[in-house]
Amino acid sequence: MTNEARYKRAFSTLHASGNLMEVKTMNDTRKRVIPRLVAVCAAAALVLAMAGVAYAADVGGIQRTVQLWFYGDQTNAVLDIRGDEYTLVYTDSTGEVHERGGGGIVIGPDGSERPMTEEEFLEQLDQPEVEYSEDGPVAVWWRGRKLDITDRFEDSVCYVQLKDGGDTLYMTVKYNDSYATSPHSYPDPDTFSGG
Amino acid sequence: MRLSAAEAYEKYADRVFAAAFSVCRDRADADDVTQDTFMRYLARGQDYRDEEHLKAWLLRVAVNRARDLTRAFWRRDRASWEDAMAELPFEEPADRGLFAAVMGLPERYRVVIHLFYYEDYSVRRLAALLGLREGTVKSRLSRGRALLKNILMEDWNDDE
Repeated sequence: MTNEARYKRAFSTLHASGNLMEVKTMNDTRKRVIPRLVAVCAAAALVLAMAGVAYAADVGGIQRTVQLWFYGDQTNAVLDIRGDEYTLVYTDSTGEVHERGGGGIVIGPDGSERPMTEEEFLEQLDQPEVEYSEDGPVAVWWRGRKLDITDRFEDSVCYVQLKDGGDTLYMTVKYNDSYATSPHSYPDPDTFSGG
Repeated sequence: MRLSAAEAYEKYADRVFAAAFSVCRDRADADDVTQDTFMRYLARGQDYRDEEHLKAWLLRVAVNRARDLTRAFWRRDRASWEDAMAELPFEEPADRGLFAAVMGLPERYRVVIHLFYYEDYSVRRLAALLGLREGTVKSRLSRGRALLKNILMEDWNDDE
Protein backbone atom coordinates (compact mmCIF):
# COMPACT_ATOMS: atom_id res chain seq x y z
CA MET A 1 0.00 0.00 0.00
CA THR A 2 1.35 3.42 -0.88
CA ASN A 3 1.94 6.18 1.65
CA GLU A 4 -0.65 8.26 -0.18
CA ALA A 5 -3.32 5.56 0.15
CA ARG A 6 -2.50 5.00 3.82
CA TYR A 7 -2.61 8.70 4.50
CA LYS A 8 -5.96 9.16 2.75
CA ARG A 9 -7.49 6.25 4.61
CA ALA A 10 -6.28 7.54 7.97
CA PHE A 11 -7.40 11.12 7.46
CA SER A 12 -10.71 10.30 5.79
CA THR A 13 -12.01 9.89 9.34
CA LEU A 14 -12.09 13.66 9.70
CA HIS A 15 -15.45 15.24 8.95
CA ALA A 16 -16.77 18.73 9.54
CA SER A 17 -19.35 18.83 12.31
CA GLY A 18 -21.35 21.81 11.13
CA ASN A 19 -23.59 22.25 8.14
CA LEU A 20 -24.21 24.81 5.47
CA MET A 21 -27.34 26.11 7.17
CA GLU A 22 -25.26 27.21 10.14
CA VAL A 23 -22.88 29.02 7.82
CA LYS A 24 -25.72 30.74 5.99
CA THR A 25 -27.40 31.75 9.19
CA MET A 26 -24.22 33.27 10.47
CA ASN A 27 -23.58 35.01 7.19
CA ASP A 28 -27.09 36.40 7.01
CA THR A 29 -27.04 37.75 10.50
CA ARG A 30 -23.43 38.93 10.22
CA LYS A 31 -22.65 37.51 13.62
CA ARG A 32 -19.25 36.24 14.54
CA VAL A 33 -18.76 32.92 12.84
CA ILE A 34 -15.94 32.11 15.14
CA PRO A 35 -16.97 33.11 18.60
CA ARG A 36 -13.82 31.60 20.03
CA LEU A 37 -11.67 33.19 17.35
CA VAL A 38 -11.15 36.17 19.53
CA ALA A 39 -7.80 37.18 18.22
CA VAL A 40 -7.62 35.66 14.85
CA CYS A 41 -5.21 38.06 13.42
CA ALA A 42 -2.04 39.34 14.19
CA ALA A 43 0.63 36.86 14.53
CA ALA A 44 2.78 38.40 11.88
CA ALA A 45 1.67 41.94 12.14
CA LEU A 46 2.61 44.66 14.54
CA VAL A 47 0.71 47.86 14.43
CA LEU A 48 2.79 50.81 15.45
CA ALA A 49 0.63 53.76 14.73
CA MET A 50 -2.70 54.61 13.31
CA ALA A 51 -2.68 57.16 10.56
CA GLY A 52 -6.09 58.58 11.15
CA VAL A 53 -9.58 57.90 9.99
CA ALA A 54 -9.85 57.47 6.25
CA TYR A 55 -13.52 57.36 5.45
CA ALA A 56 -16.81 55.80 6.41
CA ALA A 57 -17.75 52.67 4.56
CA ASP A 58 -21.13 51.74 3.11
CA VAL A 59 -22.91 49.89 5.87
CA GLY A 60 -21.76 51.78 8.83
CA GLY A 61 -18.30 50.28 8.97
CA ILE A 62 -15.21 52.41 9.21
CA GLN A 63 -11.90 51.93 7.47
CA ARG A 64 -8.61 53.20 8.77
CA THR A 65 -5.13 53.06 7.39
CA VAL A 66 -2.63 51.63 9.84
CA GLN A 67 1.07 50.98 9.69
CA LEU A 68 2.33 47.57 10.63
CA TRP A 69 5.46 45.50 10.67
CA PHE A 70 5.56 42.28 8.71
CA TYR A 71 8.73 40.37 9.56
CA GLY A 72 10.77 43.53 9.58
CA ASP A 73 9.10 45.27 6.64
CA GLN A 74 6.95 48.23 7.48
CA THR A 75 3.86 48.49 5.35
CA ASN A 76 0.44 50.09 5.30
CA ALA A 77 -2.69 48.11 5.91
CA VAL A 78 -6.38 48.85 5.77
CA LEU A 79 -8.31 48.09 8.93
CA ASP A 80 -12.02 47.58 8.28
CA ILE A 81 -14.18 47.89 11.36
CA ARG A 82 -17.73 46.59 11.28
CA GLY A 83 -19.36 46.46 14.63
CA ASP A 84 -17.22 44.19 16.77
CA GLU A 85 -15.52 42.57 13.78
CA TYR A 86 -12.23 43.70 12.32
CA THR A 87 -10.53 42.87 9.05
CA LEU A 88 -6.96 43.84 8.26
CA VAL A 89 -5.78 43.78 4.63
CA TYR A 90 -2.14 44.35 3.76
CA THR A 91 0.38 43.58 1.03
CA ASP A 92 3.74 42.08 1.89
CA SER A 93 7.07 42.80 0.20
CA THR A 94 6.44 40.12 -2.44
CA GLY A 95 3.16 41.71 -3.44
CA GLU A 96 1.01 39.03 -1.89
CA VAL A 97 -2.16 40.32 -0.31
CA HIS A 98 -2.96 39.05 3.19
CA GLU A 99 -6.22 39.36 5.01
CA ARG A 100 -6.63 38.86 8.73
CA GLY A 101 -9.84 38.89 10.67
CA GLY A 102 -10.49 39.39 14.32
CA GLY A 103 -12.76 40.71 16.95
CA GLY A 104 -15.31 38.75 18.86
CA ILE A 105 -15.57 38.49 22.57
CA VAL A 106 -13.38 39.04 25.56
CA ILE A 107 -13.80 36.65 28.46
CA GLY A 108 -13.22 38.24 31.83
CA PRO A 109 -11.74 36.59 34.92
CA ASP A 110 -15.25 36.00 36.23
CA GLY A 111 -16.33 34.32 33.00
CA SER A 112 -18.34 37.29 31.77
CA GLU A 113 -18.23 38.08 28.07
CA ARG A 114 -18.24 41.37 26.19
CA PRO A 115 -17.43 42.51 22.65
CA MET A 116 -13.78 43.25 21.97
CA THR A 117 -13.02 46.92 21.50
CA GLU A 118 -11.05 48.33 18.59
CA GLU A 119 -8.29 49.30 21.02
CA GLU A 120 -8.01 45.74 22.28
CA PHE A 121 -7.90 44.46 18.73
CA LEU A 122 -5.05 46.80 17.89
CA GLU A 123 -3.25 45.77 21.06
CA GLN A 124 -3.34 42.20 19.81
CA LEU A 125 -1.59 43.27 16.64
CA ASP A 126 1.24 44.62 18.73
CA GLN A 127 2.23 41.13 19.79
CA PRO A 128 5.63 39.65 18.94
CA GLU A 129 6.03 36.89 16.39
CA VAL A 130 8.22 33.81 16.78
CA GLU A 131 9.98 32.67 13.62
CA TYR A 132 11.37 29.14 13.27
CA SER A 133 13.90 28.84 10.44
CA GLU A 134 14.43 25.69 8.44
CA ASP A 135 17.99 25.18 9.64
CA GLY A 136 17.27 25.63 13.33
CA PRO A 137 17.50 29.29 14.38
CA VAL A 138 14.59 30.73 16.33
CA ALA A 139 13.94 34.45 16.42
CA VAL A 140 11.44 36.87 17.91
CA TRP A 141 10.20 39.77 15.80
CA TRP A 142 8.79 42.76 17.57
CA ARG A 143 8.19 46.21 16.20
CA GLY A 144 10.46 45.69 13.24
CA ARG A 145 13.36 44.28 15.22
CA LYS A 146 14.62 40.75 15.36
CA LEU A 147 16.08 38.96 18.37
CA ASP A 148 17.77 35.58 18.04
CA ILE A 149 16.64 33.31 20.89
CA THR A 150 17.99 30.02 19.54
CA ASP A 151 20.38 29.43 22.41
CA ARG A 152 18.12 30.71 25.16
CA PHE A 153 15.92 27.64 25.50
CA GLU A 154 16.16 25.47 28.56
CA ASP A 155 13.88 22.44 28.68
CA SER A 156 12.18 23.82 25.57
CA VAL A 157 11.19 27.04 27.33
CA CYS A 158 12.69 30.48 26.77
CA TYR A 159 12.07 33.72 28.66
CA VAL A 160 12.55 36.97 26.76
CA GLN A 161 12.25 40.53 27.96
CA LEU A 162 11.44 42.93 25.12
CA LYS A 163 11.86 46.68 25.47
CA ASP A 164 10.90 49.48 23.14
CA GLY A 165 11.04 52.97 24.58
CA GLY A 166 8.92 52.88 27.69
CA ASP A 167 7.20 49.65 26.73
CA THR A 168 8.33 46.37 28.26
CA LEU A 169 6.98 42.98 27.37
CA TYR A 170 7.74 39.76 29.23
CA MET A 171 7.53 36.82 26.88
CA THR A 172 7.57 33.07 27.55
CA VAL A 173 8.20 30.91 24.50
CA LYS A 174 7.60 27.15 24.41
CA TYR A 175 9.66 25.66 21.60
CA ASN A 176 7.58 24.68 18.57
CA ASP A 177 4.43 25.12 20.59
CA SER A 178 3.21 28.57 21.55
CA TYR A 179 4.04 31.68 23.49
CA ALA A 180 2.41 34.12 25.87
CA THR A 181 3.22 37.68 26.87
CA SER A 182 2.52 40.03 29.71
CA PRO A 183 3.58 43.62 30.46
CA HIS A 184 4.10 42.68 34.11
CA SER A 185 5.84 39.30 34.47
CA TYR A 186 6.81 36.17 32.58
CA PRO A 187 3.74 33.99 31.97
CA ASP A 188 3.95 30.56 33.54
CA PRO A 189 4.63 28.05 30.73
CA ASP A 190 2.30 25.56 32.43
CA THR A 191 -0.65 27.89 31.94
CA PHE A 192 -0.70 27.98 28.14
CA SER A 193 -0.31 25.61 25.26
CA GLY A 194 -0.50 25.58 21.48
CA GLY A 195 -2.81 22.61 21.67
CA MET B 1 -17.21 29.15 -12.77
CA ARG B 2 -18.81 29.12 -9.40
CA LEU B 3 -20.47 26.38 -7.42
CA SER B 4 -23.50 27.08 -5.32
CA ALA B 5 -22.76 27.27 -1.63
CA ALA B 6 -24.52 23.96 -1.13
CA GLU B 7 -22.43 22.27 -3.83
CA ALA B 8 -19.18 23.75 -2.56
CA TYR B 9 -19.93 22.76 1.03
CA GLU B 10 -20.98 19.26 0.03
CA LYS B 11 -17.81 18.72 -1.98
CA TYR B 12 -15.19 20.49 0.10
CA ALA B 13 -16.30 20.95 3.72
CA ASP B 14 -14.55 17.79 4.90
CA ARG B 15 -11.37 18.68 3.00
CA VAL B 16 -11.39 22.18 4.45
CA PHE B 17 -11.96 20.73 7.91
CA ALA B 18 -9.12 18.22 7.50
CA ALA B 19 -6.73 20.94 6.32
CA ALA B 20 -7.70 23.14 9.25
CA PHE B 21 -7.33 20.24 11.67
CA SER B 22 -3.86 19.51 10.31
CA VAL B 23 -2.89 23.01 11.41
CA CYS B 24 -4.73 23.56 14.68
CA ARG B 25 -5.18 19.96 15.84
CA ASP B 26 -8.42 20.84 17.57
CA ARG B 27 -11.86 19.72 16.43
CA ALA B 28 -13.76 22.77 17.66
CA ASP B 29 -11.23 25.15 16.14
CA ALA B 30 -11.26 23.25 12.85
CA ASP B 31 -15.06 23.48 12.78
CA ASP B 32 -14.84 27.20 13.45
CA VAL B 33 -12.33 27.62 10.63
CA THR B 34 -14.52 25.58 8.26
CA GLN B 35 -17.54 27.74 8.97
CA ASP B 36 -15.52 30.91 8.60
CA THR B 37 -14.06 29.70 5.30
CA PHE B 38 -17.47 28.99 3.79
CA MET B 39 -18.92 32.19 5.11
CA ARG B 40 -16.18 33.96 3.20
CA TYR B 41 -17.01 31.91 0.13
CA LEU B 42 -20.63 33.01 0.42
CA ALA B 43 -19.66 36.63 0.92
CA ARG B 44 -17.02 36.71 -1.81
CA GLY B 45 -19.38 36.09 -4.70
CA GLN B 46 -16.64 35.90 -7.32
CA ASP B 47 -16.06 33.44 -10.13
CA TYR B 48 -13.15 31.03 -10.21
CA ARG B 49 -11.11 29.90 -13.20
CA ASP B 50 -12.08 26.30 -12.60
CA GLU B 51 -12.91 23.97 -9.76
CA GLU B 52 -9.26 23.44 -8.91
CA HIS B 53 -8.90 27.18 -8.42
CA LEU B 54 -11.93 27.18 -6.15
CA LYS B 55 -10.59 24.29 -4.10
CA ALA B 56 -7.18 25.96 -3.76
CA TRP B 57 -8.84 29.17 -2.61
CA LEU B 58 -10.83 27.33 0.06
CA LEU B 59 -7.79 25.44 1.32
CA ARG B 60 -5.63 28.56 1.40
CA VAL B 61 -8.23 30.46 3.40
CA ALA B 62 -8.64 27.52 5.77
CA VAL B 63 -4.90 27.08 6.36
CA ASN B 64 -4.38 30.80 6.92
CA ARG B 65 -7.35 31.04 9.27
CA ALA B 66 -6.20 28.03 11.22
CA ARG B 67 -2.72 29.49 11.52
CA ASP B 68 -4.10 32.78 12.70
CA LEU B 69 -6.06 30.92 15.31
CA THR B 70 -3.19 28.82 16.59
CA ARG B 71 -0.85 31.80 16.79
CA ALA B 72 -3.23 34.03 18.66
CA PHE B 73 -1.67 34.86 21.99
CA TRP B 74 -4.79 34.13 23.98
CA ARG B 75 -5.06 30.57 22.75
CA ARG B 76 -4.44 28.29 25.64
CA ASP B 77 -5.82 25.35 27.53
CA ARG B 78 -7.29 23.69 24.48
CA ALA B 79 -8.23 20.04 24.36
CA SER B 80 -5.25 17.97 23.33
CA TRP B 81 -5.13 16.43 19.89
CA GLU B 82 -4.66 13.06 21.57
CA ASP B 83 -8.09 13.45 23.17
CA ALA B 84 -9.60 14.42 19.82
CA MET B 85 -7.93 11.46 18.14
CA ALA B 86 -9.27 9.05 20.75
CA GLU B 87 -12.80 9.76 19.54
CA LEU B 88 -12.07 9.25 15.85
CA PRO B 89 -13.26 6.02 14.23
CA PHE B 90 -10.26 4.75 12.28
CA GLU B 91 -10.77 2.09 9.65
CA GLU B 92 -7.60 0.20 10.53
CA PRO B 93 -5.53 0.17 13.75
CA ALA B 94 -2.45 1.31 11.81
CA ASP B 95 -4.31 4.43 10.72
CA ARG B 96 -4.28 5.68 14.29
CA GLY B 97 -0.51 5.40 14.40
CA LEU B 98 -0.11 7.32 11.16
CA PHE B 99 -2.54 9.98 12.31
CA ALA B 100 -0.71 10.37 15.61
CA ALA B 101 2.67 10.54 13.89
CA VAL B 102 1.50 13.33 11.60
CA MET B 103 -0.11 15.24 14.44
CA GLY B 104 3.15 15.02 16.35
CA LEU B 105 5.07 16.79 13.62
CA PRO B 106 5.80 20.51 13.87
CA GLU B 107 3.16 22.57 12.07
CA ARG B 108 5.38 23.60 9.19
CA TYR B 109 5.80 19.93 8.24
CA ARG B 110 2.24 18.85 9.01
CA VAL B 111 0.60 21.21 6.57
CA VAL B 112 2.91 20.36 3.70
CA ILE B 113 2.61 16.64 4.35
CA HIS B 114 -1.17 16.84 4.58
CA LEU B 115 -1.70 18.82 1.39
CA PHE B 116 0.77 16.63 -0.49
CA TYR B 117 -0.60 13.25 0.53
CA TYR B 118 -4.26 14.05 1.10
CA GLU B 119 -4.90 16.68 -1.53
CA ASP B 120 -2.38 15.42 -4.12
CA TYR B 121 -0.73 18.82 -4.42
CA SER B 122 2.57 18.98 -6.29
CA VAL B 123 5.52 20.87 -4.84
CA ARG B 124 4.91 23.72 -7.27
CA ARG B 125 1.24 24.02 -6.43
CA LEU B 126 1.96 23.71 -2.72
CA ALA B 127 4.45 26.54 -2.99
CA ALA B 128 1.86 28.72 -4.70
CA LEU B 129 -0.87 27.81 -2.22
CA LEU B 130 1.25 28.37 0.89
CA GLY B 131 3.23 31.34 -0.42
CA LEU B 132 6.55 29.51 -0.02
CA ARG B 133 9.51 28.94 -2.31
CA GLU B 134 9.54 25.55 -3.99
CA GLY B 135 12.83 24.79 -2.29
CA THR B 136 11.27 25.41 1.09
CA VAL B 137 8.35 23.12 0.29
CA LYS B 138 10.73 20.39 -0.86
CA SER B 139 12.79 20.78 2.27
CA ARG B 140 9.75 20.59 4.54
CA LEU B 141 8.34 17.64 2.64
CA SER B 142 11.62 15.79 2.84
CA ARG B 143 12.08 16.54 6.54
CA GLY B 144 8.48 15.61 7.30
CA ARG B 145 8.81 12.31 5.48
CA ALA B 146 12.02 11.52 7.30
CA LEU B 147 10.37 12.19 10.64
CA LEU B 148 7.41 9.99 9.73
CA LYS B 149 9.71 7.21 8.59
CA ASN B 150 11.61 7.46 11.85
CA ILE B 151 8.39 7.07 13.83
CA LEU B 152 6.44 4.64 11.67
CA MET B 153 9.32 2.49 10.47
CA GLU B 154 7.96 -0.24 8.19
CA ASP B 155 4.52 1.38 8.13
CA TRP B 156 5.87 4.24 6.05
CA ASN B 157 7.56 3.70 2.69
CA ASP B 158 10.61 5.55 1.47
CA ASP B 159 9.25 7.69 -1.31
CA GLU B 160 10.36 10.87 -2.98
